[in-house]
Amino acid sequence: MDPVHATPGNPTPPTRQSLTAVGGERPVSGRAGRDERAPAGEVAVRIEGLTKTYQHPWTLKRTRGLERLDLDVHRGEVFGYLGPNGAGKTTTLKILTGLLKPTSGNATIFGEPIHRVASRARIGFLPEQPYFYDSLTGPEYLEFVARLSGMGARDATRAARAWLSKVGLGARDREALRKYSKGMLQRLGLAAAMVHEPELLILDEPMSGLDPFGRRDVRELILEQRAKGTTVLFSSHILPDVEALCDRVAILLEGRLERVATVGELVEGNAPAVEVRVEGSRVLEIPPRFAAGVERADSGGSTCFIVSDGERVQDLLGWLLAERIAVLSVTPLRPSLEELFMAAAERSAFHAERARGRA
Amino acid sequence: MSALPAVLVARNTFREVVRDRVLGGIVAGGLVLLGVTRLASPLAMGEGLRLTVDLGLSSVTWLGLLVVLTVGTALVSKEIDRRTIFNLISRPLPRPLYLVGKWLGLSAALAAVAAILGLALWTLLAALGHAAYAGAIAEAVYLAALELAVVTSLAVMFSALSTPVLSALYTLGCFLAGQWCDDLRRFAVHCPDGLRVLLQGAANVLPNLTLFNVRSLAAAGEVTTATHLALASAYAALYCACVLALAAAAFESRDFK
Repeated sequence: MDPVHATPGNPTPPTRQSLTAVGGERPVSGRAGRDERAPAGEVAVRIEGLTKTYQHPWTLKRTRGLERLDLDVHRGEVFGYLGPNGAGKTTTLKILTGLLKPTSGNATIFGEPIHRVASRARIGFLPEQPYFYDSLTGPEYLEFVARLSGMGARDATRAARAWLSKVGLGARDREALRKYSKGMLQRLGLAAAMVHEPELLILDEPMSGLDPFGRRDVRELILEQRAKGTTVLFSSHILPDVEALCDRVAILLEGRLERVATVGELVEGNAPAVEVRVEGSRVLEIPPRFAAGVERADSGGSTCFIVSDGERVQDLLGWLLAERIAVLSVTPLRPSLEELFMAAAERSAFHAERARGRA
Repeated sequence: MSALPAVLVARNTFREVVRDRVLGGIVAGGLVLLGVTRLASPLAMGEGLRLTVDLGLSSVTWLGLLVVLTVGTALVSKEIDRRTIFNLISRPLPRPLYLVGKWLGLSAALAAVAAILGLALWTLLAALGHAAYAGAIAEAVYLAALELAVVTSLAVMFSALSTPVLSALYTLGCFLAGQWCDDLRRFAVHCPDGLRVLLQGAANVLPNLTLFNVRSLAAAGEVTTATHLALASAYAALYCACVLALAAAAFESRDFK
């Protein structure tokens, strides 16, 4: 098993081919570049130079939604799409699903260009905050969308019932959708995205509006789909979920791809600090040779040393043992995806600010 | 390209419209109007039957128009505003078929309303001993349903490109102008060259709704010719196809933000 996938929430990831991260002129991943794209047969979604510019109908002011995006999503992987509001996540997903037309560039889904309606035959899409027809019931709606996705009448009826139960709405099969709560509508949206057993799931903020139980259920559904070999591309603001589910993530900032990497690469690429906790809170004089890279904090009955340079932990431990101080724990402090994401966002803001200053 | 997706959208639209309280209210209003017409007929100085038939058939058209203006003009724009369209367009559903489906669904609902009101009118007449009006009423109701299908195609087009309020205004404008198409043509003959071409062009572009009006004939218990029925059917089919093709062309490049 590739060690980078061995996260607690990601126990059985499928074996991956080379970790292709494709960028335009911007660096995206330390390991791979434009020339290392996976063979077409292994790619579920291929995006090349995708650009979207919005123009205000009255002022004609142009706004960048997406700029020269190059990206591959491999078959069978769970791909997280991260970025703050307005970064271009939803724009990308809407272009892939035919809701927006790209200004330039192109994309394919399982080799089918997205401007063809056929490219949407193998996808299931959950829009952000989905809305439905008030007067329909859950089974009616699911049957309708399943048939639109190409299922036969009998199969659609059966699948609609099964999926309604699967998302916990089986007991409400006679109620009109206007009576559903926000969380129930989100669950119905997920069922609508999956009812026709698509090969690619595109989920825009699937955890939005869900309580912790709902989020857990969605996580399980996504993992279940991955186990079946379905490719999942989803955007989210809830980074722990992304960290727990994704094989790879892309970070998008201001319409540009900032980075593509595995969660492991992102987290391990940064030299981890180490926390050394020792018994007692007695006053310890830290030798001058450690003073530069070690911070200390006394808390309760223990003392905590944060060693920013991991390589110096051995020295520190040697000194503690020589001083006969009981070491309680040694914990590597890997930055969370959230911290890395925030750092990337701040870096981007800093560069943008500097560029504006130069201009 | 299979037409099945259009049929699925049409079925869903039909279901949505008939479950809308507006439609139920309008049908109930039509039935009440029919009763009131009958009550007022003694004041018509011997023309009570003609009044009942004429007003009964008029109510089919006008109440149908009310449904088009309240439901039809928001048919597509509401889906865009409420984002229900996201779940449809993201599937293998060509946009033109989506519009055809919306039009077909509402037209079918309007045809059902016309049939219910027509049946109610005939039942009333039969109760009064005038069951022979069946043919005249059936023809008039059929033509009214065609007229409403034409107006619905315009409503769907405007709804796909504009807001519900503007769509309602445009649709109402086209409906009213369409009632005077023949008058417009006659008036154009007496105008200077430039204006004449303009008015004749407008008369050709606007729906010729007078073609669908046989109410006076039906009120006299007479039926129209088969040629007229065939011509009106062909005209409605061609006009709807042109309007929906225009709507589809504009809708094809639309972004759903």
